[in-house]
Amino acid sequence: MKILEAKNITKMFPGVKALDSVDVAFEPGEIHAIIGENGAGKSTLIKCLTGVYEPEEGEVLIGGKHAEKNKTLFDKVAYVPQEIDLFANMSVAENLFIPYEKSGIKGQVNFKEIEKKAIPILKKFSIPVKPNDLVKDISVSSQQLLQIARATVHEEYDVLMLDEPTTSLTTSDTEILFDIVKKIKRENKSIIFISHKLEEIFALADVITVFRNGKKVAYSEIKDVDEGWVIKQMTGRDLDQNERFFSKKISDEVLMEVKNITGEKFSNVSFKLRKGEILGFSGLVGAGRSELMQAIFGYLPVYSGSIKIDGKDWKLGDTNYSVNNGVIYLPEERKKQGILPVLSIKENISISVLDKLKSGINLSNKKEEELAKKVIDIYAVKTPDSRKEIQFLSGGNQQKVIIGRAMACNPKLLIFDEPTKGIDVGTKTEIYRLMKKLAEEEKIGIIMISSELQEIKKCSNRVITMYEGKISGEFNNETEQEEILSAMIGVKSKEKGA
Amino acid sequence: MDKEKQEKKSFHVMINAIKKSNMTAMAVVLVVMIIIASIVSPYFLNVYNLQSVLRDLAFIGMIGIAQSLLLLVGELDLSVGKIACLSGILSGMLMVHAGINPWLALAIGLLLGLLFGFINGIIITRLRLNSMVATIGMQGIYGGINLVITKGKAITGVPEQIQFLGKKSLGPIPIPFIICLIVLVVILFIVKKTKTGRYIYAIGNSKEAAKILGIKVDKIRVMIYSIVGFISALAGILYVCRLGSAQTAIGEAWPMNSIAASVIGGIALTGGVGNPAGALIGAAVITIIQNIIVLFGVNSYWQAAVSGIVVVLAISFSSISAIVREDRQKRIKLN
Repeated sequence: MKILEAKNITKMFPGVKALDSVDVAFEPGEIHAIIGENGAGKSTLIKCLTGVYEPEEGEVLIGGKHAEKNKTLFDKVAYVPQEIDLFANMSVAENLFIPYEKSGIKGQVNFKEIEKKAIPILKKFSIPVKPNDLVKDISVSSQQLLQIARATVHEEYDVLMLDEPTTSLTTSDTEILFDIVKKIKRENKSIIFISHKLEEIFALADVITVFRNGKKVAYSEIKDVDEGWVIKQMTGRDLDQNERFFSKKISDEVLMEVKNITGEKFSNVSFKLRKGEILGFSGLVGAGRSELMQAIFGYLPVYSGSIKIDGKDWKLGDTNYSVNNGVIYLPEERKKQGILPVLSIKENISISVLDKLKSGINLSNKKEEELAKKVIDIYAVKTPDSRKEIQFLSGGNQQKVIIGRAMACNPKLLIFDEPTKGIDVGTKTEIYRLMKKLAEEEKIGIIMISSELQEIKKCSNRVITMYEGKISGEFNNETEQEEILSAMIGVKSKEKGA
Repeated sequence: MDKEKQEKKSFHVMINAIKKSNMTAMAVVLVVMIIIASIVSPYFLNVYNLQSVLRDLAFIGMIGIAQSLLLLVGELDLSVGKIACLSGILSGMLMVHAGINPWLALAIGLLLGLLFGFINGIIITRLRLNSMVATIGMQGIYGGINLVITKGKAITGVPEQIQFLGKKSLGPIPIPFIICLIVLVVILFIVKKTKTGRYIYAIGNSKEAAKILGIKVDKIRVMIYSIVGFISALAGILYVCRLGSAQTAIGEAWPMNSIAASVIGGIALTGGVGNPAGALIGAAVITIIQNIIVLFGVNSYWQAAVSGIVVVLAISFSSISAIVREDRQKRIKLN
């Protein structure tokens, strides 16, 4: 029996067919993975299946009934969004049961009672928090699990839709999540699992549907296929999974020397970076990697220690100085800290180099457009028009714009913080290639922070691991993953020096 | 035939522009309002009436343009009225009581306004305060100083030689309105043509992203508060010239009117969206509403309520048209 079914649905947006005659069905007791590149139509499909969009053609059936005619049927589809979407200043228990009517709590809300009701749920999901803790005070991992728990509280759901649920989870929490998902599957619910991480899909899913350019291109039982097949279906071409992207032209010159710097979330950190080198920083979420890099960049304060770049003492705590002197930070929180959402692509690119785009005292529109066109060409940004607001680009294309903008400043050091977060396999490879090219051809020193060990190993010449604000190990790129992993979680091993 | 096509095309371009920007839509609303007013009331197009409308508009317009700069970075200043008043009073005292050359007194008044704005900016950026709450406090301080130094009494006897700035016209156009247009041109140049202007939009989009881009966010914010203080002082002193006396009631409605004017003109309260010219259009909408109410002889007790209703309608204009459009699309689909 099919619990949720999309029959021949087509969804149009001005100029594009976001979904093109798609048929897809979900069955109870099954984990169904959905995969596709950014812009392949996954998000549009989700929105059609949850009733946010109405498709132009075709229909959505829930339990065999037309959902279009009876919108309450969409309550049976519990959707867990990718971004954390909780009430930060309310308690864990309140977050679980809001809206109270749907969780079966009528009339006045008794906080003691809902806190009691929350305990078994928190236990089921292994969330190590108290029901009266405020959401803003619990860890990001716990928030993510809480968000999933909340979706299952509304009793009547038949389908649980998880949109990239592991982006902010640590490895061990991911395992907890998978156990929970399998438990829910045994309750005979249907689970839709959307992810860019192939290993996770192969570890968890029963069946897989692949999307490309708004079309469903493949469907299979997971046991019949391998990663290569999935990538080929997604991208329409073969990708070498074992290709590596570390720089082959490291110079002997030291670009940056960090000496004993200490800040709020890190202490006594020292390391060197050479020109043309890609240095990977690995560690758990909250290990202090981002804070360290933001401090080096001048966004966060440094309490003690010093930094030398090109042999000269570096001014700390001034982002303006850093950018003007060729050090650029590309943030993990792309939407909040990277893009200027309602400005155009063009304006997003030119913002760092406006001095170069003047004619007289005016900004020159022509020069601005030329620069934008150049960046769009070189970095293969997919967009019909540079005047489009950047918020409407996919994550991968936004990242390319941000890289292009950084390159317009002639940098000597680029700090990439989770550069491929939320980006699909094909575009990821493009970004790795770009990093390699910048290191080798422009002699730029690159620091790459990533939580994905595979990615770190693929791209870095050296890997430094951090644990609780301190450097816990340094490895070359031939080191076994397990060894790096144990340094990430704070287990002492044969270190080559810290 | 070709011409017809072209006309059709330009019509479509216009419609699209209206759909896209609230400012253009409000410009259309404004024209419609003017047409209706001139049909319904024979006095509306009277030169004297139009002059008085322009003169009123100049003040709300100037403050609105200033306020729109702050709204563009996602902040606002509720002390604009009190800064205007205090600068006007200090300037007036210098002219009347101290006998200083009125032009010099005017210049000092403007610099004081700049200083008050600068103080607002420093307090808000250094202490990381919310602009609304901080300027509620600051307007209390500036207003308090007004009362202390004047003991509530008006300062009369502003020299004739400077009163023309508020009272006279250049040809048919009142001088305050000309000054308002000059302010608009200067601000538009800064916002649309310079680096600083682009940074203002960047900050309004995301303060964090702007800082990561190496933009000196706090410096620009302080600069905007200072400009706002300066323009407020300008409006305040011109109003003193218009009245011929400095009074503590000057600028009382300006904070709210300036925010309403900006929002009507399509400037988002959340920052990063809009054009300061919209604030002038919004100010014109507000001023003409007030004028029509008077011309129609609406009971004076009802005037505030009626003007409020029209302002709310004006602000809702763009969202109502969006709702109607969605509704129509749905109906087309169901049929």
